[in-house]
Amino acid sequence: MLTKLAMTGFKHRWRDYLVLFSGLIMSSAIFYMFEALATNHDFLKQNTGISMIGMIFQFGSVLLTIITLVYISYANSFLLSMRKRDYGLFMLVGARKSKIGQLIWLETLLVGISATLIGIILGTALTAGISQILINSLGLELHHLAAWYFPAAAVTLLLYVGLFLVAGLFNLIALTKTPALKLLHSNDQPNRPQIKPARQLIEIIVGLISIAIGYWSMGHLKQLQLMGIGIALVTIVLGTYLLFNAIFVWLMIALKRLPVANRGLNGFTLSQLSFRIRNYTKMLSIVAMLFALALGAITVGMGFHSQIPLMTNSNNAYDLGLVNTTKSEQQQIAALKPKTNITYHFKADKKTVYYQASEFNQHPFTTIEVQDKAQLSYKTVHNNAAQIKKSGFNYQLMQLQSGSMEAGTPVFLSSAAYQKLAQPEQRLTIFTTNDVVQHRAALKRLAKAHFHTTDVTNFGGRYASYVMVNSMYSGLEFMGMFLGIAFLAMLASCLMFKILSGADADKHRYAMLAKIGTTKHQLRSAIDKEIAVLFILPGIVGIVHVLFGLQMFKIIMITSPYTGIWLPFLIFAVLYLLYYLITVNIYRRIVLQ
Amino acid sequence: MTTTPIMTVTDLHKTYGKAGSKQYEALKGIDFDVQPGEFVGIMGASGSGKTTLLNMLATLDQPTSGEVTIHQQPITHLKGNQLADFRAKEIGFIFQDFNLLETMTAFENIALPLSLQNTPAKQIKTAVENIAQQLGIQEFLTNYPNELSGGQKQRVAAARALINDPAILFGDEPTGALDSKSARELLDLFTKINQEQAVSILLVTHDPFSASFCQRILFIKDGQIGQELQRGDLDRSDFYQQVLDTLGTFEQ
Ligand SMILES: Nc1ncnc2c1ncn2[C@@H]1O[C@H](COP(=O)(O)OP(=O)(O)OP(=O)(O)O)[C@@H](O)[C@H]1O
Ligand SMILES: [Mg+2]
Repeated sequence: MLTKLAMTGFKHRWRDYLVLFSGLIMSSAIFYMFEALATNHDFLKQNTGISMIGMIFQFGSVLLTIITLVYISYANSFLLSMRKRDYGLFMLVGARKSKIGQLIWLETLLVGISATLIGIILGTALTAGISQILINSLGLELHHLAAWYFPAAAVTLLLYVGLFLVAGLFNLIALTKTPALKLLHSNDQPNRPQIKPARQLIEIIVGLISIAIGYWSMGHLKQLQLMGIGIALVTIVLGTYLLFNAIFVWLMIALKRLPVANRGLNGFTLSQLSFRIRNYTKMLSIVAMLFALALGAITVGMGFHSQIPLMTNSNNAYDLGLVNTTKSEQQQIAALKPKTNITYHFKADKKTVYYQASEFNQHPFTTIEVQDKAQLSYKTVHNNAAQIKKSGFNYQLMQLQSGSMEAGTPVFLSSAAYQKLAQPEQRLTIFTTNDVVQHRAALKRLAKAHFHTTDVTNFGGRYASYVMVNSMYSGLEFMGMFLGIAFLAMLASCLMFKILSGADADKHRYAMLAKIGTTKHQLRSAIDKEIAVLFILPGIVGIVHVLFGLQMFKIIMITSPYTGIWLPFLIFAVLYLLYYLITVNIYRRIVLQ
Repeated sequence: MTTTPIMTVTDLHKTYGKAGSKQYEALKGIDFDVQPGEFVGIMGASGSGKTTLLNMLATLDQPTSGEVTIHQQPITHLKGNQLADFRAKEIGFIFQDFNLLETMTAFENIALPLSLQNTPAKQIKTAVENIAQQLGIQEFLTNYPNELSGGQKQRVAAARALINDPAILFGDEPTGALDSKSARELLDLFTKINQEQAVSILLVTHDPFSASFCQRILFIKDGQIGQELQRGDLDRSDFYQQVLDTLGTFEQ
């Protein structure tokens, strides 16, 4: 009988359950996505060559677990608030507490486990899809990447089931220990925002100190090593939460005292915000952390991506050097519309490659001289024969002399001396396309056919260094982008969840405002403002975290991690704005019918 | 009567349900006027159409046909900002379930209609304090609704309804959730503001005691006005008896 009653409650509120369900599915899917990388040690080792990466991921797991913990406790209180009324009613009509306890326990576990299972499946699909897109669009080379990775699924399931067991127990106690009447009216209890100056001052001070410690240790990873990441993780999470807790209450009260609070619906918006202050501070700190993680990961990913052409270009001015090209190879080169395409004649013995100086004077050989290693800035120099000899940059020509001439020192002879040599004359063709990355497929085909191998150590030039740098950075780049997307999705699901779970309770408030003569325009702008605050505050904190967090990457990035930072920030801002607009739209639709 | 009525209702019909689906005619042609400063009651059995009628009059719902004018202005076809402005300036409501915003203090709730018009903060403060004084709720102004009793909540709601000096005040069973003492206090309050400030009041109720505070009572049965009762010079307890008698015969 009771089970039947519970089921009707379930049917009645399917919309709310849909919100709860999709939120949980997204969360477990993202957790799985993360674990699919973090628990796959082969993948981490093979693709980065940086032993620390594995540890960084472990810390990431810890952080994500904390976030999941809060997220689930949050989802659970949403579930509880949905059911409180129903269960209160059951108790009023005389249902036994033990029976109700069973029901709550069962319902929580059922919701949790089914959402997690679906989440793991979705996570596998997302991992496969996102990695395909990234690999194809960025031209990455990855090994051992598996969308379905059993240990990741096991970790996800274990954590979620464990958390839901705890949540079920919590619900059981919360519901059966509370008197029925209180359950019936638990929805309409505001949190009176209070200023407790001493406590808030302490919160602010401790919060600021923790964040400062976190920032400092991120900047001193060289000395602190892994400890630094651990310290930063704990202190920044703690500091962010404390700061939001202290400042949010204070900010709301301060704003309410300003004259603008009396204009239009501003007072209403501020009251709305302070009404749910407790939920908001927790959520805002999570969102700020996720914002920082997502933006940071994407920035680092793009940072690595932008280093690939930089490092590639600072290596050699020519894409490939081919000896004795065939007609068809020449046609293939021409098809690439190269910027430069030079053929030098030479004769070679075991140790030396003889060129004619006149050819080099006619077609100078371009070398690259790196000026600032930290910034990878370089200048190109067009050299005639005498200059190459002097400059010490002849190794760049040697890189292009592949095959048996590889180690031969170039020597530039007068035409007369060259003619006297007995060795057979050969040709070295060197060319530069406008962009190796863009022509990577054609270059690969050409090189493979010419050298009968894809091992880049057998051929030199810009293309070879591209392949080497790319395989070195692909893993890092992929992780940055992949995690950035995952965290962004998690952030979206967090905010979405928060806002939608409150929308139902807001409905009657907005209906009431309409009854006393509020215009549609006023209602809309009140909604816009309320949600904007919820987006902007964690956004600002997140950006500050990222700016300091990038310090960590000084040790694994060659250029400054801050170069070109505006681009990922801009992309992220656009995505975030888009996400804000979608949220406002959904919220408006729910609240204003 | 020589005065122009503050509200006229002409041949008002309301049919629930869309054409084609199951339809129900809740109002079947209602006509009446309300004079300035009049205190009118609307009575009827449950389901007779009282709330439906009030919602039409208060612009909360649109009639199927017929017209309502307040201050000579037809209101049934108002839309968008005009409708909002009209609600904000010309009418006040009090509902059975208070309809206060539980996120705001009593003061903020009462001030809301003025804030919506962007009234300067100083002016808002004096207006709220004045009305709170009249309704005897000065000491509760900083409380949140869940810290108030039902009677106090309803007085806060009344203060919010009155702060804009509306032409007419609508109440749908405002005493419905109150005990008899609080109900009586609220009704005395209505009488006071009706007499002192000449605010017209339209009160929907099924409670004869509440109705006996009115000057005129319209009885609704099956979506039509079945009978009308004038208090005239009767004192309240005699009128109460008359209402009871009328109900006895009317509801047969
Ligand atoms: N939205 C609606 N859709 C369909 N029918 C409705 C709707 N609202 C009311 N009704 C019907 O119209 C009739 C009048 O309802 P109304 O709410 O006006 O009654 P009432 O006189 O206020 O009753 P009570 O004293 O119980 O509040 C009822 O039969 C009701 O079923
Ligand atoms: Mg009614």
